Amino acid sequence: MEGKKKGHILKRFGLRIPLVLWSLAVLYPIFWMMLGSFKTNAEIYANPWGMPESFGFQNFIDAWNNYNIDLGVFNSLLVTVLGSLLALMLAVPTSYALERMEFKGSTMLFNLYISAMMIPMVLGWIPLFFLLMNFGMLDNLFGLSVVYAVSQLPFSIFVLTTFMGSIPKELEESAAMDGMSPYRILWKIITPLSMSGIITVTIMNAIQFWNEYFMALIFLQSRENYTLGLAIDFISREASYTNAWGTLFASLTIAIIPIIILYAIFQRRISKGMTEGAIKG
Amino acid sequence: MVTTKKQKYLFLAFCLVPTFLLFAVFTLYPMISGLYFSFFSWSGAAANREFVGIDNYIRLFNDGIIPRTILHDYFLVVTKVLGIMVLAMYFAVAIMQLKLKEAPFYRIIFFFPNIMSVVVIGILWTFIYNPNLGLVNSALEAVGLENLTRPWLGSETWALPSLVLPSIWAGIGLFMLMLMGGIATISKSYYEAAELDGATEWQQFWKVTVPLLWPQIKVSILYIVITTLNGSFIIVQIMTGGGPNNSTHVMGSYLYQQAFEQYNFGYGATIGVMILVISLVTVLVLARLLKREKVQY
Repeated sequence: MEGKKKGHILKRFGLRIPLVLWSLAVLYPIFWMMLGSFKTNAEIYANPWGMPESFGFQNFIDAWNNYNIDLGVFNSLLVTVLGSLLALMLAVPTSYALERMEFKGSTMLFNLYISAMMIPMVLGWIPLFFLLMNFGMLDNLFGLSVVYAVSQLPFSIFVLTTFMGSIPKELEESAAMDGMSPYRILWKIITPLSMSGIITVTIMNAIQFWNEYFMALIFLQSRENYTLGLAIDFISREASYTNAWGTLFASLTIAIIPIIILYAIFQRRISKGMTEGAIKG
Repeated sequence: MVTTKKQKYLFLAFCLVPTFLLFAVFTLYPMISGLYFSFFSWSGAAANREFVGIDNYIRLFNDGIIPRTILHDYFLVVTKVLGIMVLAMYFAVAIMQLKLKEAPFYRIIFFFPNIMSVVVIGILWTFIYNPNLGLVNSALEAVGLENLTRPWLGSETWALPSLVLPSIWAGIGLFMLMLMGGIATISKSYYEAAELDGATEWQQFWKVTVPLLWPQIKVSILYIVITTLNGSFIIVQIMTGGGPNNSTHVMGSYLYQQAFEQYNFGYGATIGVMILVISLVTVLVLARLLKREKVQY
């Protein structure tokens, strides 16, 4: 009996080893990147994976002032906020109509939106490039925001319809009896009651837009319009000549901090939202 | 509802039309006209767009790089599915079976890379693979394996396999959570019954956990395949740009190069059609292969 127990403890310990190792594999590169942002270039070469000698913010100041990271942060914030707001304005009324109103083709329309989640968007990017050009929306942050919002419509509609489906119908019915117009019902009853879903969708969309790289690469051209991802990519490509590794690490750290903060606050919501989105896909 | 029919339709139009219009303009139209563009030779200026019939498709079949890009995509699909599923399954089962006190810690940490920007992941890992400063070579030197160090992303042989690890690193948490969600719904009584019958834990895993978890396993595999075929080019573009010597080009990065760097927009659209066809066919075939009778005990 004693031996079995001992074996059990050993086994519990042994089975944990891969978990601990993977935690290190996730955390160490991220800490390494953050530590690197405090190192001078000489330190990075001499001591690439140790602690920095001192914690100065020179790299951050450099990145902000001399490498366009200030513009990148501003532009990324702009497309993130605009894209998320527009996605909500488009998705909330449609989700309500699809979930609660009866009309011909409602299932078909829903399926059309949802199936767009599975289609590789890359084919559409070539015509979209020319479409934006003809609309004068190429190399334009507002144009990019619209493209972002529409690209997240299927996901947003999928999550919002699920949330709205759980709201009891009686509330709308009695409000309608009292003579409330459907517009007011949508605004005063449905929107507040599906707030949890709206928050989830908004956080997921915001993370997506803040992180997005490829559409920005295709649809933006001038450096003053670069989003954070493009600005960092630019520094990274130049780093092989300029050796501005410290600055690069600092800008990566700047890009990741808002995500860490959001994750710290909304960790459950984010992982739940993403898992559910994937299960549908 | 006391509203009249007309009011109802007005409200429906208010809800549906603006959204659908934007969706049609920015999603449906580009997809359909992508198909249409694939029959043209076009370098971008409106004047020199020329209908060439199926010439682009003939070119596609004779382009020596195309089979390599497909092969690279499938290499990433297979290695990612295996790597992610084996590790995520191990982590999920270990965390759930052992009822670890620190389970929330693992959930939170393992999932985090899923919401990191591909730019950050790509650049971070490019640096990890850096021949002189990177973690990989430094670690190999530290344990006395200098002869294994190499310029990982600069090597035609090693660049593509080197892209697998960051993709697994970035993806695993989501699938671990999906599997954990499934395991949580399996009733304890199955394991108790299996134990009474003398089944070892390994047998319990194969006979109880895997069959009952099959829906989650299936969705996870399909999701990895879809996201890889539709999106693997982003990390390729950031980490290697398709090089060295095309050894890491996948279908999407080759499309980007053809269309947006060499201005062969018609041919780029043809590659896009190929991506669409290949990913749809792969997913349909795979969904059939993964179909199992629903298990009931």
